[in-house]
Amino acid sequence: MTASEVASLLSLKSICVPAPEREVLGGYTGDLLSWVMGRAKPDDAWITIMSNQNIAAVAMLTDVSMVILAENVAPDAGVAELCEAKSINLFSSELPAYELCVKLEKLI
Amino acid sequence: MKELSLNILDIAKNSVKAGATLIEIIIEDAGNRRTLTIKDNGCGMDEEFLSVVTDPFTTTRTTRSVGMGLPLLKLAAEQTGGSLGITSSTGADHGTTVTATFFTDHLDCVPLGDYAGTMSTLVQGSPDIDFDFIYRTDSGLKYLSTAEMREILGDVPLDTPDVLLWIEDSLNAPPEEES
Repeated sequence: MTASEVASLLSLKSICVPAPEREVLGGYTGDLLSWVMGRAKPDDAWITIMSNQNIAAVAMLTDVSMVILAENVAPDAGVAELCEAKSINLFSSELPAYELCVKLEKLI
Repeated sequence: MKELSLNILDIAKNSVKAGATLIEIIIEDAGNRRTLTIKDNGCGMDEEFLSVVTDPFTTTRTTRSVGMGLPLLKLAAEQTGGSLGITSSTGADHGTTVTATFFTDHLDCVPLGDYAGTMSTLVQGSPDIDFDFIYRTDSGLKYLSTAEMREILGDVPLDTPDVLLWIEDSLNAPPEEES
C-alpha cells in the first residue's frame, strides 16, 4: 500500500507529500529520536508527536516511507519545507498514536 | 538518548575526531539546574560551520548527510527548558566548548545515567588523549584526571583492563566532600 493510500484510509491531513507512491510495509511509533533512529525500519510509517527539524533527519536516516504527527501536532516552522526538500512524506492526524497504530495494523 | 551519558559519549567523540589532546567534561548540579560542559583543544570550527552545527543535516561524517550528536543534545536540553551553547576557535587557542543546561525537575529531563561507563569507554577508545572529568553536586565532588593517572601509572597504558575497571569503580564510589 502506498503512503497516499494509507493517508486517505486513515483520513490524514497532508502537510507535504513529495513521494506519494512510497510503499508502506510496516509501522513504528516513538518520540525518543535516538531510540527511533536505531529501530524504525525502511518503509515503515513512523508515528510521533515530535515536531522539530530532527524528525526529518531521523526519517531520512531510517528511510521510513511516511511520518505521521499524532494528536494534531503541527510541525515547527520550516520543517514542512525541509521534508519537501528531502523527499519525506509528512502528515498529521487528530488521533493519538495508539489509535493510529491500531488502524494502520488493520491496513497492512 | 535515554541517558545524558550517551550524549556525552557522542559529543566527546567529536572532540576526539577534532584531534583534541585534552578533553574536559564537567557536570555541575546546583539545585534543579544541571550544567554540562565539554571542552576540547581540538581543531575547532570556523564561524560558518559553527552556525549550522546544530542542524541535523550537517556533519563531519562522510557516510551520511546528517549528524545527530549536537542536535540531539540541544533537543535534550531544550525539552527541559534549558539550552545549548557552543563556542569554538580555529586560531592559536583552538578548541571547542559545548555547554548544555538542563532543569532536572522537568519531567522530560533524562537521567544522567552511567557516566562512569562513559568515561571508561572514552579512555579505552582513546588511551593517549587526556580526559579531565569533574562531577560536582551539592553533596560533593567526583574527579578523574588521566594526566594525574599517567604520572602514577608510568608506562602502564590507560586501556589496560584493570585500569579501566578502576576508573569505573572510582567514579561509582561516593563523592568526596569538598572542603
